[in-house]
Amino acid sequence: MINPRAWGGSAMCLVWLGFALVTFLSCLKSEPIPSNTLFIGIESGPRMFDPRLSTDAAASKVGDLLFNGLVKRRDDFSIAPDLAESWDTPDRRKYIFHIRAGVVFHNGRKLTSKDVKETFDFILDEKNKSPWRSSLLAIDSMETPDDSTIVFNLKEPSAPFLGSLTVGVTPAGMDTDMAARPIGTGPFRFVDYKTEERLTLARNDGYFDGAPSLAGVVFKIVPDETVRVLELEKGSLHLVMNPITPDILSRLRSKPDLKVVTGLGTNYSYLGFNLEDPIAGNIEVRRAIAYAIDRKSIITYILKGLATPAAGLITKASEYFESELAKYSYDPERAKNILDNAGFTDPDGDGPKVRFTLKYSTSQNELRKRIAEVFQWQLAKVGIGLDIRSYEWGAFYSDIKKGNFQVYSLTWVGIADPDIMHYIFNSESMPPNGANRGRYVNARIDELTRLGRISFGAERKRIYSEAQKILANDLPYISLWHSVNVAVMNRRVKGFVVAPDENLKSIKDVRIIPPKVKT
Amino acid sequence: MKYFLARRLLTLVPVVWGVVSLVFFIIHLTPGDPVEIMLGETASKADMESLRKELGLDKSILSQYLGFIGEVATGDLGRSLFTKKGVFESIMERYGATVELALTSMALALILAIPLGVIAASRKDTSVDRVSMALSLVGVSMPSFWIGPLLIMVFAIDLGWFPVSGRGGVESLVLPSITLGTAMAAILSRLTRSTMIETLGEDYITTARAKGARGAIVLYKHALSNALLPVVTVAGLQLGSLLAGAIITETIFAWPGVGRLTIQAINARDYPLAQGCVLTIALSYVFVNLLVDIVYAIIDPRIRYK
Repeated sequence: MINPRAWGGSAMCLVWLGFALVTFLSCLKSEPIPSNTLFIGIESGPRMFDPRLSTDAAASKVGDLLFNGLVKRRDDFSIAPDLAESWDTPDRRKYIFHIRAGVVFHNGRKLTSKDVKETFDFILDEKNKSPWRSSLLAIDSMETPDDSTIVFNLKEPSAPFLGSLTVGVTPAGMDTDMAARPIGTGPFRFVDYKTEERLTLARNDGYFDGAPSLAGVVFKIVPDETVRVLELEKGSLHLVMNPITPDILSRLRSKPDLKVVTGLGTNYSYLGFNLEDPIAGNIEVRRAIAYAIDRKSIITYILKGLATPAAGLITKASEYFESELAKYSYDPERAKNILDNAGFTDPDGDGPKVRFTLKYSTSQNELRKRIAEVFQWQLAKVGIGLDIRSYEWGAFYSDIKKGNFQVYSLTWVGIADPDIMHYIFNSESMPPNGANRGRYVNARIDELTRLGRISFGAERKRIYSEAQKILANDLPYISLWHSVNVAVMNRRVKGFVVAPDENLKSIKDVRIIPPKVKT
Repeated sequence: MKYFLARRLLTLVPVVWGVVSLVFFIIHLTPGDPVEIMLGETASKADMESLRKELGLDKSILSQYLGFIGEVATGDLGRSLFTKKGVFESIMERYGATVELALTSMALALILAIPLGVIAASRKDTSVDRVSMALSLVGVSMPSFWIGPLLIMVFAIDLGWFPVSGRGGVESLVLPSITLGTAMAAILSRLTRSTMIETLGEDYITTARAKGARGAIVLYKHALSNALLPVVTVAGLQLGSLLAGAIITETIFAWPGVGRLTIQAINARDYPLAQGCVLTIALSYVFVNLLVDIVYAIIDPRIRYK
């Protein structure tokens, strides 16, 4: 007879050992790593793959390899043909696209104009709740006179319209679940996705623009940045892209097997002000702050060169970039004079008392908090107090949208078209209708951002050039910097291009050189 | 025993209901709008209102709450707002990984802790005791965000014995299990030592020794089984928290467990998924506690559930 008193302890250990053994045995299956396959480390997996519905960054990156749009953006953000070989615009309300011949989906079906139409019909159908619907509302109707032609009739001329046709085209009448098992026309086809573990893609041998040289691509989901970098050092990952904390870069640059590649990005960081606030709404206060911030030092010492000072929203890579903008180089004496003249005198000169204190809202991101502390120190030198409040992202963003802030800092991601100025600075775009969170009102900006939507060519450039100049003077935002994109990769990876919008399209032309065999 | 089990299972209902209700209100009252995350900021007001209505988010919070409780009562946890997958299916996809890591870590902790604690107690105030307790102090002082990367640097990068991260073969379990198991082993070994010292001072141990029982028999047969009760209680609580997902360790080792899923769901304000995750975590806790109560009866015959 078993005495529980005697056997209790041993039984406990045996139970746990048993559990452990079963667990060990249940997962005794190592997967071989295929050669000529590119392993990329990403922070989180895509929520869904359907390009008509997804908005998250991971889905967008993967979508670059799985799908093609009717058109695509070049690195200077101009529009280039993709699935459409060419297009005609008999008038500004009609676009006739001629679809490339010989394009087939990953399931072997030929691409026709009906697939394109159904993709956009799906997005425009209110019941599908597509996040892309609002960008395509200019479409009045679509026609497909034959299998290789699609005609878009617009309600009114729309300059940003072409750019909204970059969304991935999906096959019509699909009976598969696009969100989980996507089918596109891209250079790689979907193989398997283990949620939040890894996503496997294989070469599309029938890709219309020539098959990739890689056999496949594996996106390995590694949430921790340090671990992503360690994977790269070990060689179990070939490539890691933004975000990479600047402090880690010097270590990576010293590794003989790795190379660090950078390129100008589109992400724009700024200080936003609540213009209805009696202090932050004062233009002289904003001008003084603009002069009191030493952007170059922050870029050099905190961002380790991974940014370039910005004078406006539009990046240098864009054809709409205006170079002749008011610039605010670091000049604390000038900032003090501006504040003195505006009536914000310093009660004790260089002493600890401040002229006034601003509440500065930011997220809990460590880098952002460090930058906020530098701002606090720099502004203290001109007698401005900064009360830093860092919030959980959802709470922070909710406050910003409600206008519940005095000063905040954020980043606009992926600015490709200057039409975003309507969304940010037009007085009709105050939340919830847009992102004019600071409640900026300027009749000329309202007019220019409206005209920019219906103007083309040189006229459109002139309009946005004037708008950028006004914004640089009015300072509803204080421009901080444009990001520099960074990719760290194994030296054996050849042909990868760091694109301004961080797209991964160049992977189609990437090769992996076999390792040198030591003799 | 059957009566005990039935009674315990019934008492779980108000506990789980309390936890789930609390989480429902906290998540819904936290700032952040899932509709805006889903449609993007550029969506029109009409589209946002329409989606809000479709998801039932336009209703009063009380009405949403009653609907949610009704669905949970019928076993329907709903669908994730973002992936559109069933919440139960999404959680089960990840729960296996969590259970795998939790059990392995716990097994490792117990294998280390109990012998270490017993040896330390039986050689109280000797150098063996001091070394083992110093080791446990070191173990409990090492946070997972430090020991995890350290283990990776040494055993994955320098020695190349294990993969850096990810869930694959058995080798991928080793480093995350050590990361999680070390601190637990440290706590449990100290606890085992102190309860063993207390038990070894009892009269019946002196009697056993007086009767000529061998040292090992006294230690393992007479003392350990009595000293284990508090250890089992603490181990049960720790296992419960492991089953709730070890978020830091899961993040460091890219382990696709429930902890990361819960954080992702909360960050994205994916209400049904976040609620489902918390419900699963609560159920795991109470289930482990129930298991602990049953183990009590096996270890200590004085405890009989009627």
